[in-house]
Amino acid sequence: MSEVPPAPPAPTEPGREPAARALLTVEGLGKRYRRSVPGDQLRTLKSALLEGSLTRGLGPEQAITALEGVSFEVPAGQAFGVIGGNGSGKSTLLKVVAGILRPSAGRVEVRGRVAALIELGAGFHPEISGRENVYINGAVLGLSRREVDRRFDDIVAFSGLGELIDEPVKTYSSGMYVRLGFAVAAHTDAELLLVDEVLAVGDEAFAHRCLRRIDEHLAAGGSVLFVSHALDLVEELCDRVLWLDGGRPRLLGAPRRVVDAYRQAVAEEEGREHLAAKARSEEPAPAPAGGASGAELDPAGEPLRWGSRRAEIERARLLVGAPGTVDERYCVESGEAVVFEIEARAEAPLADFVFGVAVTTPRGVECWGTNTDLAGLEARRFAGRGRVRLVCPALRLGPGEYLVDVAVHARDGSPYDYRRKLFGFTVTARDRGVGVYFPEHRWEADGGVEWRAPV
Amino acid sequence: MLDTAAQIARFRGLLATLTARELKARYRGSALGFLWSLINPLLLLAVYSAVFGWILQPVRGGGVEPYALFLVSGLFPWIWFSSSLLEGSASLVTHAGLIRKALFPAELLPTVAVAANLVHFLLALPVALAALAIGRALGYPVAGWGTLALPAVVLVQLPLAAGLALGLAALTAHFKDMRDILANLLTLLFFATPILYPIEAVPVAWMRALVRANPLTPYTLAYQDVLFRGTLPEASLWLQMAAVSLVGWAAGAWFFGRLKETVVEAV
Repeated sequence: MSEVPPAPPAPTEPGREPAARALLTVEGLGKRYRRSVPGDQLRTLKSALLEGSLTRGLGPEQAITALEGVSFEVPAGQAFGVIGGNGSGKSTLLKVVAGILRPSAGRVEVRGRVAALIELGAGFHPEISGRENVYINGAVLGLSRREVDRRFDDIVAFSGLGELIDEPVKTYSSGMYVRLGFAVAAHTDAELLLVDEVLAVGDEAFAHRCLRRIDEHLAAGGSVLFVSHALDLVEELCDRVLWLDGGRPRLLGAPRRVVDAYRQAVAEEEGREHLAAKARSEEPAPAPAGGASGAELDPAGEPLRWGSRRAEIERARLLVGAPGTVDERYCVESGEAVVFEIEARAEAPLADFVFGVAVTTPRGVECWGTNTDLAGLEARRFAGRGRVRLVCPALRLGPGEYLVDVAVHARDGSPYDYRRKLFGFTVTARDRGVGVYFPEHRWEADGGVEWRAPV
Repeated sequence: MLDTAAQIARFRGLLATLTARELKARYRGSALGFLWSLINPLLLLAVYSAVFGWILQPVRGGGVEPYALFLVSGLFPWIWFSSSLLEGSASLVTHAGLIRKALFPAELLPTVAVAANLVHFLLALPVALAALAIGRALGYPVAGWGTLALPAVVLVQLPLAAGLALGLAALTAHFKDMRDILANLLTLLFFATPILYPIEAVPVAWMRALVRANPLTPYTLAYQDVLFRGTLPEASLWLQMAAVSLVGWAAGAWFFGRLKETVVEAV
């Protein structure tokens, strides 16, 4: 997948206001951190005192770039999602927008108040009651005591804590903690809500209540900046999505497009990992002494390879693509043509042999398995080296991770060489679904049922 | 410097709430509760009275009888001042979670430490006043009309404590060694301030000059005037205190303002 430059901000005619004025404008935002060097505290202090910055004038080897060149706008009434792997700069972005951290470059402009749900309940004091903490948290978020008074019952109702509100916060479960934190933040009337991966902590019912609250907030003309690893939720909730990769914007646009591109990139990365893992496992395989089975074990203590070794599987790989354009890779889109290729060797000629391939999920669910005997092929001769290919014009597996077992054995089942989990691969799909089987399909309707096609 | 003051004034409601929280949380779950505010300084007072009142009496010199009442006049305010600085300077590091994860007015944290310790001081004060009243009833010339000026002395010292707590907190966030340096410095300052002894009792001239030059000496002298002697401090003493407080506040708030933006990344 090629890198796509971030889309320019919503086009506006010169001298005219955009249709919906942006609540949040981020322009060329950059953030650098000083690399911490032991014994460097005095120099850090000097730099902070004299320059008012920890990173000004530092070379690239002394600073870490957490964000670079990030620009976007969030109009009123819209939700903006930020996705990316761990360490991609999502949380730093949220903190800079919240005003907790100062940008090293660029600018952030917010029209209105901001409520940051970055660390829910940050500032809760464990020793005192939930009730008192609500007042303190409310004050931290900019509410006066009287304003908290007015909303107190709503806050408690939203949190679902009931009587427990008068217990010390240290007796709360982590879910209760988060619920109370969100309840306070959700009742602050801020125009811009910053939400960082918090919906994952509460239970299902609470997550729904939060989403309803966010919807109401959007409907009332507020905006949301949403950071999450829950890609489905980002896609559902957001109007536009930014994908951050190593602190730099990789793609900005419609949720579906960005989330798909991100998923694809993650799958490709996993495919590379499968390839690397396979390369490692193929490193000089020590031939077992005698005809006994090898002692290779998987982490669960189950054998990975056994058999008499009258025939041996030397190598197996996954080839993807239409004939003529095949290449070896371990990231497949559901429905693509694949070939399972096995390289095997028989020291002495064999007349009784069966080649088999099985695909399982990492948790051991058998998805598909077949062998040459089941296909009705009668063994004639196997001597020296040979290649066996299982050609599959359309691999219709559901999205997910899969492992492949490869075996060569006698017709009665006695194994020559049985290799479990020889390699793994990742399957992606354009549309979602559950399960391991993904037949070609589409939805149709007539009469009074209609819908809008995905963007 | 003025922004820092304005920011604290703007969040005074939160300051009060946080101070109350600090006080409540400290004694929550302890059997004696807020009585510790009294017991702690009283125990220290008893130890110092025993050591300097009886054991080392010839060394300390006379002229300040009853010694326990002289001691209490300087010691209680000192405990307020030094605990304010110790807790205040550590406050940004202690509450790193708060300022790193929420948009929290950081200037409140050192200020809360000063305010909470002021409350402890005020809670212990009735004991000191009662002791002075008993002393007076026994015929000693302690306390008097001048004692009414006590709130004024506290008010003049407040900007010094708050300013230093702010500046030291910002410094400690960047430079963790500050905590140990400060603890030692405060011990040194305690003995260089005429709390345990009257200045006149210092036998060496240059040491006397040193104690007089200590910027904290005027406050101790003023507290001893209003509490122990029951007189109003002289105008020159007021001027010295006002000057030190102004410089202390300005320097502390300047340091804090300068370092404020980078504190979040440093703690």
